[in-house]
Amino acid sequence: MSVLNYVGKSFRRKDGPDKVTGRAVYSQDVKLPGTLIGRILRSPHPHARILRIDTSKALALSGVKAVITVDDTKGIKHGFVETPRYPADQEVLARGRVVHVGEEIAAIAAIDHLTAQTALELIEVEYEILPAVFDPVEAMQAGAPQIHPTHPKAEVPFSNIGGRTATGWGDVDAGFAESDYVREDRFESHLRTHGYLEPHTTIAHWENDRLNVWTSSMGTSIKRAKLAKTLDLPYSAVRVHKTYVGGTFGGKIDLYSHEYCASRLSILTRRPVRIVASREEIFSAYRHGQPLTMEIKTGVKNDGTIVAQQIRVINNSGAYRGSGVVVIFLAWGFTMIPYRIPNLKYEGISVYTKYTVRAPQRGHGCPQIRFAIESQLDRIAEDLGIDPVTIRLRNARKPWEELPNGDNVHEAGLLDCIKVAAEKSDFLKKYGNGRRTTGTIRRGIGMGVSGYFGGSLIYPNGSGVIVKMNDDGTPTVLTGGIDVGQGSETVICQIVAEELGINIDDVKIISSDTDTTPQDIGAWISGMTYVTGNAARQAAGNVRQKMLDLAAARLNVDVESLGVEDKVIFNRHDPSQRMSYREIIAYSIATRRGDTIIGEGFWRTMRDEPTHPSLATTKGRWSENYAFSCQVAEVEVDIETGEARLIKALTVHDCGFPINPALVKGQIDGQVSMALGHAFLEEVMTKNGYTLNPTWLDYRMPTIHEMAASDDADVITEQYVVGKPYRTKEVGEGLVSGILAAIANAVYDATGARLTSTPFTPERILKGMRKLARENKRRH
Amino acid sequence: MSKAQTNQKVRSQIVEICVNGEWHELTVKPRNTLVEVLREKLGLTGTKDGCEQGVCGACTVMLEGHPALACITLAVECHGKEVRTVEGLAQGEILSAIQQAFLDQGAVQCGFCTSGMLMSATALLEKNSKPSLAEIKKALEGNLCRCTGYNAIVAAVQQASGQGVKPIML
Repeated sequence: MSVLNYVGKSFRRKDGPDKVTGRAVYSQDVKLPGTLIGRILRSPHPHARILRIDTSKALALSGVKAVITVDDTKGIKHGFVETPRYPADQEVLARGRVVHVGEEIAAIAAIDHLTAQTALELIEVEYEILPAVFDPVEAMQAGAPQIHPTHPKAEVPFSNIGGRTATGWGDVDAGFAESDYVREDRFESHLRTHGYLEPHTTIAHWENDRLNVWTSSMGTSIKRAKLAKTLDLPYSAVRVHKTYVGGTFGGKIDLYSHEYCASRLSILTRRPVRIVASREEIFSAYRHGQPLTMEIKTGVKNDGTIVAQQIRVINNSGAYRGSGVVVIFLAWGFTMIPYRIPNLKYEGISVYTKYTVRAPQRGHGCPQIRFAIESQLDRIAEDLGIDPVTIRLRNARKPWEELPNGDNVHEAGLLDCIKVAAEKSDFLKKYGNGRRTTGTIRRGIGMGVSGYFGGSLIYPNGSGVIVKMNDDGTPTVLTGGIDVGQGSETVICQIVAEELGINIDDVKIISSDTDTTPQDIGAWISGMTYVTGNAARQAAGNVRQKMLDLAAARLNVDVESLGVEDKVIFNRHDPSQRMSYREIIAYSIATRRGDTIIGEGFWRTMRDEPTHPSLATTKGRWSENYAFSCQVAEVEVDIETGEARLIKALTVHDCGFPINPALVKGQIDGQVSMALGHAFLEEVMTKNGYTLNPTWLDYRMPTIHEMAASDDADVITEQYVVGKPYRTKEVGEGLVSGILAAIANAVYDATGARLTSTPFTPERILKGMRKLARENKRRH
Repeated sequence: MSKAQTNQKVRSQIVEICVNGEWHELTVKPRNTLVEVLREKLGLTGTKDGCEQGVCGACTVMLEGHPALACITLAVECHGKEVRTVEGLAQGEILSAIQQAFLDQGAVQCGFCTSGMLMSATALLEKNSKPSLAEIKKALEGNLCRCTGYNAIVAAVQQASGQGVKPIML
């Protein structure tokens, strides 16, 4: 194996010095002279017909520069999904009807905040209130108020069906008949928000027939595409600039109305327009995650081997399609990855309700479905008298298994993950002790397994990277890859440094600016390290090859005889024969018609596949990289108050290999924290479509007091070789899942109460324990 | 006349505030917050505005040596007082020990909470050179971080206070 100097090492972040000194420029820090303040008028009703909008008084107010409604748009629809089956379904401003609280109706641009606020109050809207429905099961009933017509291809006798995923294999009925034990359970997850610290912020400036946009996002290529489409502009007329991004977690992908409005208002006023969402707006009107209801029937053999599984998932998808039809596809995918299921029947239904549109949220369905499946698996294990480790090992996928969709798991490290997790946590020694102790504080341990895809095909499908050499022998990397905190800029620089044998401090990076950097898949499809990283490797390799060829010609030796080290290429047989990169570049310019040495690289996952799999049937390939993990949670529960907390988390995972182990560790710790928030603290409380807790005072995100110890181990299954493609696997969002399931199982282990709904509040824990006590009493 | 129009008519006042060692004479409305003045009038955008509700801690600065939430501190309250922001932590290109420790421990991800965290941590360390874990948690309890789970941040404070925590990054 070759010696690596940069890849596989924990280099400090490239963007770190900017971030600790306050120099890093986020969208909210962009200042342009003459900037107008934009504000959005939002619906106060969950469902209403708009009878009349009168903006004349607002427009007449001194200091107001423009007011727009849907009549000032081209009426071009957009959607998170835009496929023939699921075409774009949402306008940028409401047309004739509002379908959720906070839906955007009009936008204004004014000279300052107070004028903007006054103008908002002067817009008159007359509504006719329409009946609304909030619960997905109620919304599905015949006769429920119709939000949108049921999808024509859904083939179900229900109302308000935005989309349906139906798939499976084998014969579940025969599978259940063949099983020794069959169990049915129902699980529910709740509404949580992303909790990015930086609010949504957009500043748009129309200048010289071009639109310049700075916006807090997860991918500038996709933002440009959606803005260009809805504004009916050529892509080349829209430039989305790089800014640092203050957290996303799924909540800043897709087009948001305020981004369109800032742009349109700038086009109309010819001045920069800034729109910042208040935290209350984000909680009340912006997109959150997706609460799923999951019905699971599983048949097993006496030894715990899964024979058949039937799953039905209902998604409360909000008032437009959003990513609702994606999460019901993904919940199938995250069911399929970790364990062999010989017979499966899966149905996912996405139901329109009068809630805000749904977005992906870190894990996008995986935390919910793994919580359900792993909880049920522990129940089955207990019913059969098998321990949680054994039942998982029995069903876990082995290396090189083919998945039912035709994908391959390659060097899947799941078996090792489970074994190492059990060993490192001393799982079997601790398991079951909590319920046998008598104190007030009970300790419990639980395990959860998950798998995650690593990149799929969705616009723009591929990433390009350019490495251009400066004549001092250093490279500048141009990548569309956006660093949202995960560390992509650092990782890309490590790869370029490795391929070029150059100090990482000498590598300069320019990222995520649609005018100067190539297209990129973005930080939202779990594939950037793999896809953009391989493109960077190829671009740097392209430079390396050019320089080797030049040095070989100049030194009159074979390329094979040459070595690369510290910006120098030398003859391995005679190290005195050497050329610095600077000399090679000068030589290239002199002899190769001015070629300054520019390398290019492109990467696309599943390069022979035309597109992503069908969301409705799951047909087609999904990914060529699958990550696996087994996580263990140790919790403490106060059985008098019902208060529970995560004390210790262990994550054993297979991410292929870590390009930067400390950055991987950072991802793990963050996901553990997010999972404990999901499990114990966070819930967007709603009533009739209104958010009841639109501040962080009442929506409890983990603080430093809830911090849990977080250990990890990496079962490395792949390796990096200079000049060769590599396979890294996902590590940035799937790991919310196993640990959430593990927490659920640990709460059971501590208390004996099985909670089938998140969050695990003190009330639910106490209720579960009371129910258990009643059952025990009856039994005696 | 609407409430907003009435607000518009409120007279401005002149305040003098010392920011990172330099005195500034500023014209402010009584409603202007310290974070607005720092960011809009002085161009010190290192102090972040995360919630405008005094909850997330991203706007934390040091006011007379104590951590303060700049989004719910009125600029007029700061007249004659000394404010320190993240821009005032480094000496030229030399980072302070806590800034360096944040880089060494991977305590920075998206970076949006970082300025506020650094100011809360600096205020702690200036009073207490060897804080215990409980003291660190107490000092940083008002600063939300969504990326790191706080583990690396605690390690950074321990590193900066010389409590045997070594850098994990190169």
